[in-house]
Amino acid sequence: MSLALSTLLYEWRRYMAAVIALAVAGLLVLALVGMFMGIGKSFTATIDRSPADLMVLPPDSDGFGSTQPRRNIPTLFQHPEVVEVMPYTLSWAFWQNFPTPEQPMRREGVQVIVVDPMEGAVTLPNDFPEHIIVALQEPYSVILDATSLNKLGVKVGDKANLNGRTVNVRGTVDNYPSLFQSMIFTSRQTAKLLGIYSEGPRVGSLLVKLRDPARAATVAEELNAIGKGQYKAWTRDQLSQQNQAEMFKNSFISIMLGFMLLVGVFIGVVITWQTLQGAILANIKEFASLRALGVSMGSLRLIIMELSFWVGVAGLGLTAVLVIGVTALARLFNLSMYYPMWAIITIAIMLLVISVVSGLLSLGVLKKSQPADLLR
Amino acid sequence: MTQELAIDAKGITKSYKIGKTRQDVLKDVDFNAYHGQVTMVMGPSGSGKSTLVATLSGLLKPDAGEVIALGENLWTKKKARIDRFRLDHCGFIFQGFNLFPALNATQQVEQVLKYCRVPKSEARKRAKAALTEVGLEKRLNQMPSALSGGEKQRVAIARALSKNPQLLFADEPTSALDSVSGQVVIKLLHRAAHEHGAAVICVTHDPRLEAYADRIIHMEDGKILSDHFVNKP
Repeated sequence: MSLALSTLLYEWRRYMAAVIALAVAGLLVLALVGMFMGIGKSFTATIDRSPADLMVLPPDSDGFGSTQPRRNIPTLFQHPEVVEVMPYTLSWAFWQNFPTPEQPMRREGVQVIVVDPMEGAVTLPNDFPEHIIVALQEPYSVILDATSLNKLGVKVGDKANLNGRTVNVRGTVDNYPSLFQSMIFTSRQTAKLLGIYSEGPRVGSLLVKLRDPARAATVAEELNAIGKGQYKAWTRDQLSQQNQAEMFKNSFISIMLGFMLLVGVFIGVVITWQTLQGAILANIKEFASLRALGVSMGSLRLIIMELSFWVGVAGLGLTAVLVIGVTALARLFNLSMYYPMWAIITIAIMLLVISVVSGLLSLGVLKKSQPADLLR
Repeated sequence: MTQELAIDAKGITKSYKIGKTRQDVLKDVDFNAYHGQVTMVMGPSGSGKSTLVATLSGLLKPDAGEVIALGENLWTKKKARIDRFRLDHCGFIFQGFNLFPALNATQQVEQVLKYCRVPKSEARKRAKAALTEVGLEKRLNQMPSALSGGEKQRVAIARALSKNPQLLFADEPTSALDSVSGQVVIKLLHRAAHEHGAAVICVTHDPRLEAYADRIIHMEDGKILSDHFVNKP
């Protein structure tokens, strides 16, 4: 084991301030990214877990909100590999519970997502269990995300009022949390009964199933060629990535992340630098004795740089532990967090850069390792 | 045993600026030391003995004078060359032991050998041999915190000896030690000179060490007062 690594392990208390500073800097940025991404993921949950191989959106849109002409559906069928096309239908509706005497009245706007409760349907999310599919087949039945029960003032088996009609809460699904309006799933038939299903000339996004899902990217290109700019076909991954990228174009999130990054880097560099400097000073006589024995200044600098690298690695390790802790804590509060690989790699590089820069800043202290001072 | 001149210094002058006054620490000192001898440099504090050793060993540049060490004019070399000279030929033992707290006895010695480009397995062998020579064969894996002062100083000596230095500089090597440990240490220095042929230059004001000296030089006020050979080179 090298001198640098042995020193870090043996005198870990001395380096703890730097390791914690790095971990907090890492956590600060990563938790923020994780939170935004988690919120974003909850918005795109229905895309990510859709069995559709392709999503077809209006040409200038990359979200699920905007509409396109219904006539795009037959255009898509011109491609021989398209086996099913269904519109993704999302409507806004007004929810009201029937409170028991000790329960408060809840009046909420909700998003109603229409699914076809049949195994293999392109609109049915692929994580809906069998009993939920069966429950959805009943008229006037609705399915909620488990975390919405409290917000909407109901439990499974209760009745509620949706746009003036009575519906039955028949079950719950997990992993569809929403920070804003709760998500409610109904069948197409129930949506029609509730009067929230439009059969007009415009539809939302189109969900497309292909004969061979492995060819999704190629078929998307071919469909775009057929459509001549009337729509744009995306694979699920493309759309998901586009949505994530779109979120970070949002100036508020970027400013906040940029600010946190700056604060994190600043705190990290200052504390790591000062800690390293103190730790080197504590061993300055040992370094000076190596200088006396003829070890070059360059070799001592390398020891410091290696030491600062290992401090960075230790900081990364602690960041991982803290992030796991924070994520578990967030889950307790039904806040899902998601860490994309690019964010993890960026943070890892950031922490190592902080520690190496701190190491560079600390090199000046080595000038105090004058071996002649050891002679007195 | 070789009895050649190891260091030959002439006209060494060094002064320090303290505040607005300039203090001469070494005043035109001539000094030499032989292989295979323990040369004891004695004198009260402030007499300039440590500064003399610093200039002889390439740690502190004198204002004037020249140092011929192992036939090479030390202070005409570039800094990196002087470092290299020390790495190849010099061992140092200080009053403080200056051992890295995180390394055990064997690793302390190996650490230095690594920079001398000694291969790993060879370094381990030499480290064990050096520690055995100083009587620490049973303490090879002890950390400095588990060693007594005398044992720490012996590790420092093993670290210095493992390079097989031709010049061994010791600055008050016994002043932080009890008399028994001090004797062990000076015997080791004596052995380094007499068995390995190193030129040992030991700065001390401990009169008990005189018994082990081959030559005793007394300094005062930056000048050599007396130079007395106990054993002729």
